[in-house]
Amino acid sequence: MSFDLSLILDALPKMLMGIGLTFQLLILSGFLGLVLAILVMLMRISGTWWLSWPAQAYIYVLRGTPILVQIFIVYYGFPQLEFIRESFLWPVFRDPFGCAVVALTLNTAAYVSEILRGGVLGVDRGVLEAGEALGLSKSQRFIYLTTPIATRLALPAYGNDIISLLKSTALASTITLMEMTGIARTIVAQTYAPYEIFVSLAIVYMILTFLIQKLLARIERFLGRYTIRES
Amino acid sequence: MEALSGWWDDYFWGSVVVLQVFLASLVLMVIFGLIGAAAKLSSNRVAQKISGAYTVIFRGTPEILVILLLYFGSAITLTAIAQVFDPEIKFVDVPPFWAGTFAISLIVGSYATETFRGAFLGVKPGSIEAAYALGMSSVQVFFYVRVPEMWRLALPAFGNHMLSLVKDTALISIIGLNETLFVAKQAIATTGQPFTMYIVVGLIYLSVSTVITLTVMALEHYGNRHMRIAA
Amino acid sequence: MTNAQPLIQMKSVGKHFGDFQALKDINLSVSKGERIVVCGPSGSGKSTMIRCINRLERHDEGQIFIGEIELTDDLKDLNAVRREVGMVFQSFNLFPHMTIVKNLMLAQRLVRKTSKQEAHEVAMHYLERVKIPEQANKYPIQLSGGQQQRVAIARALCMKPEVMLFDEPTSALDPEMIHEVLDVMVDLAKDGMTMICVTHEMGFARSVADRVIFMDGGEILEQAPPEEFFGNPQRARTKLFLSQILQH
Repeated sequence: MSFDLSLILDALPKMLMGIGLTFQLLILSGFLGLVLAILVMLMRISGTWWLSWPAQAYIYVLRGTPILVQIFIVYYGFPQLEFIRESFLWPVFRDPFGCAVVALTLNTAAYVSEILRGGVLGVDRGVLEAGEALGLSKSQRFIYLTTPIATRLALPAYGNDIISLLKSTALASTITLMEMTGIARTIVAQTYAPYEIFVSLAIVYMILTFLIQKLLARIERFLGRYTIRES
Repeated sequence: MEALSGWWDDYFWGSVVVLQVFLASLVLMVIFGLIGAAAKLSSNRVAQKISGAYTVIFRGTPEILVILLLYFGSAITLTAIAQVFDPEIKFVDVPPFWAGTFAISLIVGSYATETFRGAFLGVKPGSIEAAYALGMSSVQVFFYVRVPEMWRLALPAFGNHMLSLVKDTALISIIGLNETLFVAKQAIATTGQPFTMYIVVGLIYLSVSTVITLTVMALEHYGNRHMRIAA
Repeated sequence: MTNAQPLIQMKSVGKHFGDFQALKDINLSVSKGERIVVCGPSGSGKSTMIRCINRLERHDEGQIFIGEIELTDDLKDLNAVRREVGMVFQSFNLFPHMTIVKNLMLAQRLVRKTSKQEAHEVAMHYLERVKIPEQANKYPIQLSGGQQQRVAIARALCMKPEVMLFDEPTSALDPEMIHEVLDVMVDLAKDGMTMICVTHEMGFARSVADRVIFMDGGEILEQAPPEEFFGNPQRARTKLFLSQILQH
């Protein structure tokens, strides 16, 4: 057994060809997931049972099942259903990329909505009461007080979820997508050198994780500037 | 629905495998988590560094990559070792059960490391000092003050780690573990009903998650009994 | 508004939290320019009473009038009432994510629809009144407790309210900071502001209050001008309370 460096030098550029696809999956489902998460969170805290109940059920199901099963249901399962094949969304579900984005979006939104809810619930009640006493309306309090404070409170946990999402994009390889992990698996199947290929790819992911963390730490510092005593 | 009729047995045994993986990985995860936390909290800098590297690596690498690497990598390594003793051996097979269980325990154990560490540091120094002031020995302080309080602090996150273990079990189907997702694949090959078959898998995982969630909730209720003002 | 029309009027007001009766048959009338100090043991309902006045709590019996407007669920523009009633909280409750001057400008801009420039001028005017204009661009956490409470008072004043409610404004402060907040309140009283203060600062009550109200068990047990209240309390419970807080 040996560790073949030339193999890595050969394989690394090939794997990096898939980084574009990894980023597309990450950014697209990260963005759509955030939008959906805000919607689900608002439903969940609405106080209206026919809005909050479906939101809770959604969160419960999506967080209680493996993401791989969710990906398979969307990619392999949905085409079994007649109304999906006939709907205008069929082009999305026929395409593995579309399916991966749909599944990752649905999955991340369930987690992120709970993170956002934690942020909203974490806002000091006294601060909101002060706004109320000054005559701010409910929506004004939500926009000017709750949103900025909750955003800061939720950011660290949200950052962890982005990293989870990055790792989940690797599962797109199970439905034929040739993102970095997909390419790596093909190379391993040809060369049968799992150590070299998978370890070097793991390092690539760790660098990406590190960069995301750095970026988020910056945003956190900016949003948290009012929490530091010394100016 | 009648397509399912011949497959209930297989799904049942697949569920048994899920539970086996869960129990085995739970034990390993706790061990890895405790060792990791102990190393992080120790004054030994080498131990701190190793534990730090452990958490960075396993939290920054996609789960599927860890599973693939451990499965194929261990097979190659063990084959190489075996050939030293008996050159006739062509290939040593590593059971997917153990490669997969080991992989997900390592991954979730890296998260548990942080949980245990945080819980240990979260115990109020005042309670500990008070216990020493009352003349308790450090062993008594550990078991009567530190551990119960730590356990209470760690439980919510620990519940999430258990859910992660269950959901990550589905990933082990990729290397051929005959759990429920693997069963579904075979069932689809003969029945051609992917939606039905994967939904069943989703429901099985959802039930296991539910049982774990309810258990953790009951334990939390018990662990927080002294935090409630009214009995 | 003339003396005939009280600024605040509470008629047989009651309030329950579940089975607990927080307020019982409260009758209180406050005229313009009057300064009321409310005291009583913890849990006596004093905070609940003043929180009902700007409807942070809803009363469930009786009537409350602010000027001529009655506080009810049908009230369309509650916020129009609220901007006439300034409130200062025990825990300051400044907006942590905004600088001091922004704290003072927000409600002016959103509720009074004041222009940005005017809101800024008003904010700076009141920061000078509470003697901390130099802190305008800091964040609340960078100020001491006493400074934060003074900002909170200025924030309420920016809305030019008819009446100011103080809910134990000095209870969360370190002793050395209490006087700087009380000084601001005394100034305010001298300027003729209508005030209702829940506080245990009996020195403040003696020097500025027109009336001192003693509450216990959700009821107003006694109300009198300070000389009478401190010199010759009528009820046994008032005497007991005064002996407890004055003996130190």
